[in-house]
Amino acid sequence: MTKEILVEIKDLSVTYQTRIGPVSAVDHISFNIYKGEILGLVGESGCGKSTLGKALLRMIDPPGEISSGQIIFSNENIMNYNDEQMRDFRGRRISMIFQDPMTSLNPVQRIDEHLIEAIQVHEKNTKRKEALSRTETLMERLGIGSDRLISYPHQLSGGMRQRVMTGIGLVLNAELIVADEATTSLDVIVEAKLVDQLREIRDEMGITLLMITHNIALVAEMADRIAVMYAGHIIEIGDIEAVFEKPMHPYTQGLLASVPNIHFDTTEQLYKMPGEPPNLTHPPSGCRFHPRCLKAMPVCSKYEPSLAKSDDSRFIKCWLYQTQPVRG
Amino acid sequence: MNEKRQILSESVPEWQLELDKVGFFRRLLLARKWYHGDWWFVLISAIMLIFIIIVGVFPQWFAPFDPREEVGPSLLGPGDVTPGFLLLVDKNSTAESFVDIAQKTNRIGYIMGSPATQVLRETLKRLNTHSEAKGLGIVYQPRGDRFESIDEGLEALSAGNLDGFITSADELGNNLTKYGNISILEEMRSGKSDSFVMGTNQIGQDIFSRIIWGTRIALIVGLSSALISFLIGVPLGLISGFIGGPIDRILTLFMDSLYTFPGLILAIAIAAVLGPGIGNIIVAIAVLYIPTYFRIVRGQTLCVKNELYIEAAKSLGTKPLIILAKYIFPNVLPSVVIIFSVNVADAILTEAGLSFIGLGLPPDTPDWGIDLARGQDYLRRAWWLITFPGVMVSLVTLSFSMLGESLSEILNPRLSDL
Amino acid sequence: MKLGANQSSGQEYLIRLENIKKYFPVQKSIIDQVFAGKINYVKAVDNVSINIKHGEAFGLAGESGSGKTTIGRLAIGLEKLTSGKAIFDNIDLQDLSPEELRKMRRRMQVIFQDPMASLNPRMTLGQAVQQGLIIHYPEKADQHRDMVLSMFEKVGLTPPNFFYNKFPHQISGGQRQRIVIARALITKPDLILADEPVSMADVSLRSLLLDLMMQLKKEFDLTYLFITHDLATAKYICDRIGILYLGKLMEVSTLKAVYETPLHPYTKALLAAVPVPDPKKRRTEPMPEGEIPNPIDPPSGCRFHPRCPITQPDCSHIEPELRELIPGHFVACRYTKTPSQPV
Repeated sequence: MTKEILVEIKDLSVTYQTRIGPVSAVDHISFNIYKGEILGLVGESGCGKSTLGKALLRMIDPPGEISSGQIIFSNENIMNYNDEQMRDFRGRRISMIFQDPMTSLNPVQRIDEHLIEAIQVHEKNTKRKEALSRTETLMERLGIGSDRLISYPHQLSGGMRQRVMTGIGLVLNAELIVADEATTSLDVIVEAKLVDQLREIRDEMGITLLMITHNIALVAEMADRIAVMYAGHIIEIGDIEAVFEKPMHPYTQGLLASVPNIHFDTTEQLYKMPGEPPNLTHPPSGCRFHPRCLKAMPVCSKYEPSLAKSDDSRFIKCWLYQTQPVRG
Repeated sequence: MNEKRQILSESVPEWQLELDKVGFFRRLLLARKWYHGDWWFVLISAIMLIFIIIVGVFPQWFAPFDPREEVGPSLLGPGDVTPGFLLLVDKNSTAESFVDIAQKTNRIGYIMGSPATQVLRETLKRLNTHSEAKGLGIVYQPRGDRFESIDEGLEALSAGNLDGFITSADELGNNLTKYGNISILEEMRSGKSDSFVMGTNQIGQDIFSRIIWGTRIALIVGLSSALISFLIGVPLGLISGFIGGPIDRILTLFMDSLYTFPGLILAIAIAAVLGPGIGNIIVAIAVLYIPTYFRIVRGQTLCVKNELYIEAAKSLGTKPLIILAKYIFPNVLPSVVIIFSVNVADAILTEAGLSFIGLGLPPDTPDWGIDLARGQDYLRRAWWLITFPGVMVSLVTLSFSMLGESLSEILNPRLSDL
Repeated sequence: MKLGANQSSGQEYLIRLENIKKYFPVQKSIIDQVFAGKINYVKAVDNVSINIKHGEAFGLAGESGSGKTTIGRLAIGLEKLTSGKAIFDNIDLQDLSPEELRKMRRRMQVIFQDPMASLNPRMTLGQAVQQGLIIHYPEKADQHRDMVLSMFEKVGLTPPNFFYNKFPHQISGGQRQRIVIARALITKPDLILADEPVSMADVSLRSLLLDLMMQLKKEFDLTYLFITHDLATAKYICDRIGILYLGKLMEVSTLKAVYETPLHPYTKALLAAVPVPDPKKRRTEPMPEGEIPNPIDPPSGCRFHPRCPITQPDCSHIEPELRELIPGHFVACRYTKTPSQPV
């Protein structure tokens, strides 16, 4: 399977100016998103994954800003886009599904209007009739019949609202959908159905999906590749089966071992990771994970490792797998 | 290389423990970095207010004169020197200055009750002291003659019965033109420089002193009425919001109707009913503000009542009164503090308004409102009569408002601190 | 079953909920009220009976609208019953005066879902945890501070003095949840109602917190009523578990029985839906049609029948009772087959 790159992220940093000082929520991150893949971006609270998702749409508001790096989407650097180009870019080529469907939809606008408006804003010459028919077809595909399309958001359930959000992204044939904790507020059965649907849509329409979530089991259910974030860095990224079978970074190892598995025997103990994610106003020196790492070495507190390739498809940011810098 | 290290499960990082040891003043300075503009506002308004309060508590330290005493000529401009007294002599007189006339054998006239006598006495005293010091041996002690009116005095001078006549420019008026043989020898002044920093009003009272003393009244009325409003409005709001039900509805209805009255009109009505006196003014203004505290506190209480930590307190078994006191009140308090500040500012304004109309305080009280009322007709002639009291009212009101506004930013708990 | 040392009345069951119902009236617009006439109710809890033994960790699992949170609150008297009985250690909670109920609270404490929201932002952590002692052990006032500090150590907050004067916003999420646990335990309760206690914590913290809760359960001889929507987590804490759907119990049994041999179609769907952190074991079973219906207007008969894969014609008329199909395993379904029965 040839992997064509859709998005190339190079040395991206997002910095927030807080009362205490600058906080780099995303710190010099580089990775690729391939066309047609489902990439799961996991991490705990405060690791910067949501910030990274927003940065892809350049939706970082003051006091935060993208302080360095490039985002190259289909060979175009969107950091160079002006406001008008960004407005066109957002929605038409990249779309976002947020966590809370209640507040992301306009409560006084009907569902079909949401979608028709999206179409007409981005494809200015589309007639209403055509937009409506596209909407109906798509929403039917997503499981919302045309009789529900005239409802208002509060009349729909959470799961349906998320499907509407997905629809808004898809109706414009966006190339990349960023789902930021899109299923966190949903019940588990609804979540499962939405996951099924997203996978089907990817198979049929070839869209790319970036799933940002703290739910590792969910990523295991649906992603092709997984990227693990910790304290603003991506510390491991690779094919999903490979990472789950043999996690390399100590954080990934601990994380995967602490996730409850419904198939486990009740007597089996979950791994308890010591410590807590660091406060990004005072990040640890060197490798940010070293205070909690059971395999930490002297070099880990001094120098930060880079995200280096370990084998064909795996990248890992850890001194255990790289030649350490020579003292001097 | 793979040493397993002992990691405490919830160890607190070093820097956090260090920060904990930082004292109060360090934290105050840290706050400056955190709150930027607001910190400066709080500082400035706090300094201003402390100063104002000191002035209000110890006006005697700052006011040069008694505010009720006529210490100068009426309507003297700020910084203007009191016009001196004119020494009139016969044109044929050989005197060149007062010293020549001040011999023992001479007679000097003045109008009965004129402040000229004081200047006369002071000048003589000066001369005598000077003479004694220099050992000149001359005693200056002319005889003083009193006259009922300026005309009589000038007649006497013109007729040659007097060697000199001392009078003020006011008293003299235009009468000099009637007597062709009288001229002004020189201007005599009293020892002290009679100029007033903010001028005098029509009665001759020093405006600066009146303003200083006015601060005391303003603060007393402002703070007392705000305090009373607070002590009545806040508990009622808490209870009403917490208990709900018919009590809440009745109270809200009552407070809302009180609230819809235009403030000053209500205060006037109450003051008129209660009658004069500083206590009644305080009560009238206090009533004005009770609904504001009530509404805000009740609204906040309703909000806070539904928070999870209230439910947690209930599940602990906390008594309702304790929930009100320890859980609801502290979380409602920040919004009230801001209102208190603005309340004091507004109370001072209202008090000035009431005394402007003439309600409440005795007429000669050194009070900004009274001064404003007295000065309103003199805007063109003597602008300083209302300008200084007006500026003072604005300044004090502003200080309280500024303090309240800037505190509101700081008092809300920082949810994302450190 | 092992009886807890706290058995003040010698009864086997600490909690007995008998046919409890909780209906919330729905506020409708004036027009609806005047013209439609009848008042609608949200049938949050509809005829549920549960017995919880001393020292047991009982799980109540369900999706939104299942009534699990409401049952928890009814069980400890934070909510008034519409009908039925809530009995705590052989005492009917409805018989108690407000003052007596308040005193009873010492024995039943709550760990809430959102630690930040359940702590008073204007009270120091030490004060917050000490409240329980002030209310229920006022005679020991001089020992209060020491008791609080030692509890801090027990829940893993060291150095305890550091935390005593801090405010909730000055510490991390994991630490806050520990404070909430400390606050619940300080009154030496018999029962802990844990309402989604780890759902807001980070993944790596959850196992720590769950472990802590299990340790403390043993040390203090507690009974847990554990409310959750996360069946994967429930597996690590509960002895027995009840599955709720739209205010009714669908299945109740021991952990092993429910997870390994679920009998109710809803339970089977629920267990299948839970994502598994193993990419090689992705779900292949289809999910039930439709979504959870509106609790104001639940389906007639068996509440699950419109979505059930094995529904029969009379499932829409007859409401199934909770029957003991296998000893200790209760199911509310008339057509499900036990493993021993032929399919």
